[in-house]
Order: sequence, then C-alpha cells, then structure tokens
Amino acid sequence: MSAIGSLPGLDPVIHAQARLRVTVALAALATGDRITFPRLQQLLDMTAGNLSTHLRKLEDAGYVQIAKTHRRRTPVTYVALTERGRRAFTDYTAALRALLIPPTDQPGD
Amino acid sequence: MAGDETGARLDEDSPLSAEETLALIERQQREVTRRLGVNVALFYGPWGAAYLLGFGSVFLTYPSALPLRLPGGVAAAITGVLFAAAVVVSVVNGTRAGRGVRGPSRMVAAMYGWAWTLGFCGLAAVNIGVTRLAVPNDAATLLWSGSSLLLVGVLYLAGGALWQDRFQYGLGVWMLVTGAGSVLAGVPGNFAVLSLAGGGGLLLTAGYFTLRPPRPRP
Repeated sequence: MSAIGSLPGLDPVIHAQARLRVTVALAALATGDRITFPRLQQLLDMTAGNLSTHLRKLEDAGYVQIAKTHRRRTPVTYVALTERGRRAFTDYTAALRALLIPPTDQPGD
Repeated sequence: MAGDETGARLDEDSPLSAEETLALIERQQREVTRRLGVNVALFYGPWGAAYLLGFGSVFLTYPSALPLRLPGGVAAAITGVLFAAAVVVSVVNGTRAGRGVRGPSRMVAAMYGWAWTLGFCGLAAVNIGVTRLAVPNDAATLLWSGSSLLLVGVLYLAGGALWQDRFQYGLGVWMLVTGAGSVLAGVPGNFAVLSLAGGGGLLLTAGYFTLRPPRPRP
C-alpha cells in the first residue's frame, strides 16, 4: 500500500472522492449557471440519497447553493457552485499541484 | 504532530495520492465537459452535406461541362430534404445540449439560436418583397444566394465572438467570401461556388470540431 492516505493542508470538504466529483461537475458549468438535481445525479451516476448527503455538506460549507423552485407546478431543485466554492476548488487544485512540485530550496541545514 | 490529525483524507476505502487525485479531477472534468457540452460538429456536418449535395444538385440541372444532368424536381427534392434535415438536427442538438442547465450560458445560446430564425425570417421578407418587383430570374437567384450567405457569415462571426472561437469566426469570414464569390460567378456558377466553397468550408469545420477535444467552458 504505497498510496498516501493523508494529505495535510487540503480542504477536507472537497477532499473526499464523492464530493470532489460533485465539485468538479459543478465547476464545469459556466459561471452563473445552475443544474437540476436529477441531471447532476445522472452526470455523476450517484444515487439521490448519496448525492443529497454530499450536497448538504458542501452547502453547509457555503460552497454550493441549492434553490428549490417550481416549474409548471413541478418542484425543481437547482444546484450551483457559489463563488466561494469555485475559489475553494481552485485553491484545492493549486494545493494538490504544489504537493507534486518537489521543494527546491530547503532553508536551514 | 497535531496537524496530521486534521490532515484531510479521501474516502477511507480508496486513499488517493495527490497525483491520483489530480488525475481523477482531470478525468471527471473531461467526462462532464463531454456530457454537458454540445456536439459542435453536429451544427456543421448536416449543413455542409446540404450545401454540397443540395446546391450541387441544383447546379447539375443547368447545362455544364459535366456529363450529368439532373431534372429540376430531383434537385428540388434533394435540396428540400437535406436543408430541412439540417434545420431539425441543429434545433434538436441545440435544445438537447442545455438539458437540466439554466443560467447565463443557456440564455446566450437561446438568443443566438433565435438570431438564426429571426434573421432568416427578416431576410425572406426583404427578398420576397424585392423579387415581387419585375426582377430578372438570375438577379433574384443571386439576391437569394448572396444575401443568405452574408447572413450566415455574419452569424458565424457573432458565434465566434460569443464563444471566443477563432475557427468559427474564420468560417464566418469564409462564408462572406463565398457569398460574394457566388454573386460574382453568376448563374449557374453561383451554385457551384455555394456547393464547393460553402459546403466544403462547413464540412471542414465539422471535421475540425470532431477532432478537437472538448474545451471547458469560459
């Protein structure tokens, strides 16, 4: 088992495989766009319960905005990444890349 | 070290390294972009075929150096079916792309789609009005081919600007040149220009978008 299980300094909200996939999918939308819950579920191939759980965690962190509205009397749930969520995702990928770059100048002995 | 305690951990059953996590992100990004994105080539391929074969068949109804001569009815049928099919494919493709997505990008796409419909309604109104006057047949033919290609070219320029796509913008320029060339060629040469230059440009664009990997949205 050579895999590194622990990667310190990474956003724990995003750093879980399922939530990472959700975040990547939402980040792929154009800025300001939102997607219906069923379409997102279909894109990610996740169960509704599983997706809800992860979305709630992302929403609690302020990364995702969930809006419930009605279209022709049918309830529709729209999901979008917030600006904060988008920034968190950018920071997360930047942190991952930084981990891959070997430290060049080590200060001290 | 206390810091390790809070060190984030991917799903316990499948711990991933930084490399694996980045690979997962890239894979997922490609997959989502592909499934969310519109099949751009489908906007050009059917039109390319309609131009090449439709206008090509109309050209073949005139006497030319080619050994083949088509009856007018056959050319009209080929042209009608191919252009109707291209309209249907474009509308269905454009509508399907934004399934389940709302927001500014869909608004832009819908307005752009309607620009084609509205533009051609306006063009038809003007051209029908003009050709009701005693306009010679050849002049009417050139009016339709020149003005249609002008509108097509300008709409591709607009699309290229909206989606920051140089290739689409370039196609717009090419269609403007094709339209002007078709008028200069006169009847029936205009049909050959529309078929080969217009259809060729559209098919080339379809090929380009088929081979180009999908890009993430701006």
